[in-house]
Amino acid sequence: MQAVQEKVRPSPAKTAGAAIEVSHLTKAFYDSQDDRVTVAVSDVSFEVERGEFVCIVGPSGCGKTTVLRILAGLEDELSGSVKLHSSTPPAMVFQEASVLPWLTVSQNIAFPLSLKGVPRAQQETRVREMLTLTGLTDFANALPHQLSGGMKQRVSVARALVDDRDILLMDEPFGALDEQTRLVLQQELLRIWETTGKTVVFITHSVDEALTLADRVLVMSPRPGRLVADMRVPFERPRDVVEMRRDKRFWDMTYEVWRLLASPAEA
Amino acid sequence: MSTATTILTEDELRRLKAPARREKLFRFASYFSPLLLLLIWELSSQFNLIDRRFFPAPSAIAETAWRMIVSLELFEHMGATLRRVGIGYMMGAIPGITLGLILGLSQPARRILGPIFSALYPVPKIAILPLILLIFGVGDASKFVVIAIGVFFLMFYNTMGGVLQTPQIYMDVAKNAGASRFQTFTRIAFPAALPSIFTGLKLAAGSSYIIIAAAEFLGARSGVGFFIWASWQTFAVSRMFVGIVVISVMGYLTILALEALERHFVAWAKN
Repeated sequence: MQAVQEKVRPSPAKTAGAAIEVSHLTKAFYDSQDDRVTVAVSDVSFEVERGEFVCIVGPSGCGKTTVLRILAGLEDELSGSVKLHSSTPPAMVFQEASVLPWLTVSQNIAFPLSLKGVPRAQQETRVREMLTLTGLTDFANALPHQLSGGMKQRVSVARALVDDRDILLMDEPFGALDEQTRLVLQQELLRIWETTGKTVVFITHSVDEALTLADRVLVMSPRPGRLVADMRVPFERPRDVVEMRRDKRFWDMTYEVWRLLASPAEA
Repeated sequence: MSTATTILTEDELRRLKAPARREKLFRFASYFSPLLLLLIWELSSQFNLIDRRFFPAPSAIAETAWRMIVSLELFEHMGATLRRVGIGYMMGAIPGITLGLILGLSQPARRILGPIFSALYPVPKIAILPLILLIFGVGDASKFVVIAIGVFFLMFYNTMGGVLQTPQIYMDVAKNAGASRFQTFTRIAFPAALPSIFTGLKLAAGSSYIIIAAAEFLGARSGVGFFIWASWQTFAVSRMFVGIVVISVMGYLTILALEALERHFVAWAKN
């Protein structure tokens, strides 16, 4: 039963050492019906520092979700290696509504704790903290079908944070939301990340979202997915997701990433 | 709400609400349409428009029913049938749900054991009743077994179908949250399959009463099925109708009870 209580956190500003090391990762899928091999990810290598926020951007079908699923242990690599330097397994926030419809908001958030058999009182304290953190306190006893898409993703985020794991993997968590809701949740995610100092790998197809959130942006090419760029995002923290759009560098970088995404993948 | 009523005129509100009001009227009328049939039956029987030997008037049937209620004879038969259905139902449902969950979750189990169930499923349950009587005798055991077999297959297929329809993402969530295989079974597969399980439970309840009626025709000295059969042999047509109505009502109430449970446990699946 691992740390469910809040630990004293090192500041997100770099405590040295890599949290994630991926080297020469290749993944392919085989469809035996059509006897067809699809290479999803080809020879991808990158590192993520402890406490760093990294976004992987790429067009749909470029294998970025596959990379994340391999990091989460939901999929096996074909070759190459993935090393996670962490005492806890990574927590994942999924793409679609992954909230369990038969559990209330509180029960959904408590799910990882209840699987581990954490005492009821301790669960309740921790869930209450998460409800406050994600602004869900008023919806504690609601069932998922009563919630909006944005609310459901808040629940997913709260569930991923509840047992305080070191690494957070996020698979286009805000992809299905409208723009206003997405902006609000991005700002909240930044606030939460700044207070918890977790290592985050965030998948998105939105260049805008990647630049808003990340310390570093990894750009992937269309299938077979390869890394084509590794860019440092210069904006200072804490960030204001609206204000930073006045910065000229934001638009220069947007242009730069778009140029990379638009260039045809070399054979 | 209050702003809407001030913006809209009286006439607009009336037109807006008209379909809902019509709907309510139809629903009210729908309660009475079966009674209308009963009334036609009563009148046709009273005026000899139909053969009273085969279709005694509902009032005459009700009179017979009342005598049987007062003498407690009816409850004896109902009790016997209910006990057989209840026990047989449990004997079929519990293994059916368990195996449905296991085969739904495990592809190897489904590959290997699936064909066995597919091969046995099409056998009509009534057709094997003589065989079951031969093995388990004419006592209650044979009734339990034949109901259990019927219930088992419905529960097995509905549960397995429910598990197979579970979105993969719930399994991923469980794995990422650190669920063991057993926890995935109890905390994900079972609740996810619950709507299908309830569909199965309702179908199984219906078929349990069909099977018990047939089983009691042949080898029983009590029960509503026996009672219907015995009435036929003595040409007591009113009593026969009482039996038919009673077993129908029993089935209906069982399904109502299951629906109430479903509303309680699967409230999340509405919408």
